[in-house]
Amino acid sequence: MKYNRRNFIKQCIALYGSTLLLPACSTRGKTQTYRSFSPLQADCLGAICEQIIPTDEYPGAIDSGVVNYIDRQIYIRFPELKELYHEGIQAVNSYCTSVYNKEFTALSWDDQTQLLLTMEKGELPEEHWEKASQREFFRIVRRNTMQGFYGAPHHGGNKDYISYRMMNLNYPFIAGQNRYGEK
Amino acid sequence: MGKNKYITAIVVGAGAGGGIVAKELATSNIKVTLFERGDWPSYDKHFNDELISQRVQDLGTSFGPDGKKNPRVLISPDGKRNTVYRAVNHIAACVGSGTVSYGAMAWRFMPEDFKMKSTYGAVEGSTLDDWPISYEDLAPSYDKAEREIGVAGDMSGIPFAPNKDNPYPMPPFEYSREGEFLKNVCQNMELHPFPVPMLRNSVPYNGRGACIRNRYCVGTACPVNAKNGTQNTVIPVAMQTGNCEVKTNCFVYKIHTDGKGKATGVAYFDENNKSKTLEADIIVLSASAHETARLLLNSKSVEFPNGIGNNNDWVGRNHQGHSYTGAVALFDFDILDLTTGPNTTLGIMDYNHHNKGIIGGGLLANEFFLGPYAFTDQRPPGSPTWGKEHKKYQRENYQRTGLLVGPIQEIPIFDARVTIAEDVKDFWGVPVAAFSGGHHPLDKINCQFLSSKAEEIFIKAGAVKIWRRGGGEGQQGGGQHQGGTCRMGNNPATSVTDSFGRIHDMENLYVADGSLMVTNGGFNPVLTIMALAFRVGGHIASKWM
Ligand SMILES: Cc1cc2nc3c(=O)[nH]c(=O)nc-3n(C[C@H](O)[C@H](O)[C@H](O)COP(=O)(O)OP(=O)(O)OC[C@H]3O[C@@H](n4cnc5c(N)ncnc54)[C@H](O)[C@@H]3O)c2cc1C
Repeated sequence: MKYNRRNFIKQCIALYGSTLLLPACSTRGKTQTYRSFSPLQADCLGAICEQIIPTDEYPGAIDSGVVNYIDRQIYIRFPELKELYHEGIQAVNSYCTSVYNKEFTALSWDDQTQLLLTMEKGELPEEHWEKASQREFFRIVRRNTMQGFYGAPHHGGNKDYISYRMMNLNYPFIAGQNRYGEK
Repeated sequence: MGKNKYITAIVVGAGAGGGIVAKELATSNIKVTLFERGDWPSYDKHFNDELISQRVQDLGTSFGPDGKKNPRVLISPDGKRNTVYRAVNHIAACVGSGTVSYGAMAWRFMPEDFKMKSTYGAVEGSTLDDWPISYEDLAPSYDKAEREIGVAGDMSGIPFAPNKDNPYPMPPFEYSREGEFLKNVCQNMELHPFPVPMLRNSVPYNGRGACIRNRYCVGTACPVNAKNGTQNTVIPVAMQTGNCEVKTNCFVYKIHTDGKGKATGVAYFDENNKSKTLEADIIVLSASAHETARLLLNSKSVEFPNGIGNNNDWVGRNHQGHSYTGAVALFDFDILDLTTGPNTTLGIMDYNHHNKGIIGGGLLANEFFLGPYAFTDQRPPGSPTWGKEHKKYQRENYQRTGLLVGPIQEIPIFDARVTIAEDVKDFWGVPVAAFSGGHHPLDKINCQFLSSKAEEIFIKAGAVKIWRRGGGEGQQGGGQHQGGTCRMGNNPATSVTDSFGRIHDMENLYVADGSLMVTNGGFNPVLTIMALAFRVGGHIASKWM
C-alpha cells in the first residue's frame, strides 16, 4: 500500500474504530505493550496507581487505563519524565526485594499502602533513592494518576468515561454543547 | 501627519486592550496593523478538555503560548534562578487572548480604587498611590466597554456599585442553585448580593445568540460564540472598516526609535520566523503586563540604554497579580446543580472597601464549577489525598462543595518586578522575562480577612465543614491578572506613562493593557483594562486626526 496521507488516515480510523468496539470489560491478565515501560515496569506502576485510585464499586486506575495514559503522555509530551519513572520503579522494587524479598506487586495490599505512605513522606531508606527523589516520584505518579482517571478519555485514561459516570456527570457528550445529555 | 497619505499605527497584541485600541483607531480612519503572536482561536481544537485549557494547564494551554518556545525565569527571594519551559504566568496567545477563554466577569472598579493613597494614606514599604485619573474620568469608557463588548447584569439597588443607576445592555443571568441559596443567606446577613455582571450574552446581542449555560466555560472558548471577547466584537468591526490588518503568528521583539523621542517602527518575526520591520506614525503596546514590559526593556538604544521609558527604572516595577482567596465549604446536600452552568452567578462587594483596619479588600463570588480533575485537590486540610477514601470523597462530595472566592486588592511593592534574563532566550533568540519579588506583608492579612468573611457566610449557610483559602504570600507571579508594570502617573519620575497611556519620554508611543494599572482593585481586571483601552484609543484618535 502506498504510504500517503489518505491511507494513513484510513489506518488511524481503523485502529481508532477497533478500540471503540472493544467490549468494556477488564483488560487485566492480558498484556498490553507500552512505549515507555517494559511489562514488568508497567505491572509495578499499575500496582502503585491502583493504590492511588483503587477499585471499589467502580473500576480503579488499572482498569480505567491510567498506565496507558502515563505511557502516552511520556511518549508524546513529557519524555523527560521517563527517567524518573524508570528510576522510581526500580527503587521501589529494590527496596521491596531487600526488605520483603519480593517485588512490589507481590506485596499484600496493606503492605503496599504502608510503603507508599512512607514514600510520600520521603521516609523510605535513602540508599535505594540515590538517583530519583522518592517524594518527587510519588508526587508525579499521584498527579498523573489523577489526570489519567479524571481527565478527558481522549488522553488515554478514564476509559468509558468511568470517572464521569462515578461522579454522576451525565454522558455521553452532546457535540457542540460542551456538556452531557440527560440520563 | 507622516509621510504617507494616511496616518498609520501599529498595535502590538490583539487581546483585551489591543483589540479595542485597533477598533478605536481604525474607525477614526487611521491605518492599523494589529500584531498578534498567536493565531485566530478555534473552539474545536480543545473542546471538553480539562487538562488542556487556559484554566488548568497540566498538559498544555488551549490558546497558547507554547511553553517550550517561551521559557521564563523565576527568581526566588534568595536569588535562585529557575528557568521554566511551561507557559507560566501567561494569559494566552491568540486573537482575543484572555477574552476568548475567560470567565467573563465584568467588574467596574469603585471610586476608592482610583484613590488608594488618599483614602488610606501612605503605606510603609508600598508604592500604593492614586491613579492620575478618577472613576468619573473612566466611567464613559466603562460604558463603551459594556455596550460594545457586551455585558449582562443588574446593579440597581447595590449601594456600593458606582453604576447602580446605569443599566447594562443585557438583563442579568439567573442565579444557579448555589447562587440562589447563598443569595438568601447573604440577604439574611444584611449583605447586598447581586447577579455577577458577565461579558456573556444572556439574550441575543450584537448579532450573536444567547449563552447555552455550558457546565464548563472558563478556560475554554464558547462553542456557540455567546461569550464576548475582542475577537468576536471590536476586532471584526476594525477589520470591516478596511483600515485594520491583523497579522497573526507575528511576534514583535523590538521597538525602533529615532533618538529624538519618537518611535519609528517595530521589528518582528513573521509566521515563517523571518525577521522584518514595519514603520508607523503611532505605536501602541498591548502585549499584556509581562510582555509589554519585556518589549520595552528589550528595546535598548543609545537614547534608552535600559530600555524605552525606563530611564528612571520604573518599567516592570509594581508588578501585581491577585491572590484568589475565600473559603471552601462542604454541605450535606447537593448545593450544585450541574445541569446548568457555568455557575458563577452571585457576587457581593460589601467587603471591597471601608473594612475596619483593612486597606482595600475584595469581592466574593460563588466560583465556576471545577472540573473533576481540579476537584481532586479540593479537600479539607488533613484529608487523605489518595486511596479509597479520596476516591469515595470525590463521588460523594463533588456536588456538595461550595466555593466563595474573590481577588484581594494587592498592596503594590517596588521590588515585585519583571526584568529581562539576558542569558535565557526564547525560540527566536530574544531574551525572556524574569520575575522576582514577593508580597507586601499586608496581603496575607487581607487574604485572612476576606477568607474569614467567606467563612462567616458558609457558617450561616449551615455548611458541615469549612476551610479557608488564605494566600497573599510567596512569589509574585502576576498570572492571569498580571498588571502594574508600566504604571500611569503625572510624575515622570515615579511612573512610566501619562494619564493617557503615552510613555513619558516619547511623543507617539503608548501603552494600553494591564500594565497601566496603578493598583489592582479587589476586582478581576478585564473590564477596567478594556475601559483604559477605550480611553487611550479615543485619545489617540482625537489627538492625531
Ligand atoms: C482562564 C482565564 C479566566 C479569566 N477570567 C477573567 C474574568 O472572569 N474576569 C476578568 O476581569 N478577567 C479575567 N481574566 C483575565 C483577563 O483575560 C486579562 O486581564 C486580560 O485579557 C488582560 O488584557 P491585556 O490586554 O492586558 O492582555 P491580553 O488580553 O493577554 O493581550 C495581550 C496579547 O498580546 C499578544 N502578544 C504578547 N506579546 C506579543 C508580542 N511581542 N508580539 C505580538 N503579540 C504579542 C498576546 O499573544 C495576547 O494576545 C481571565 C484570564 C484567564 C486566562
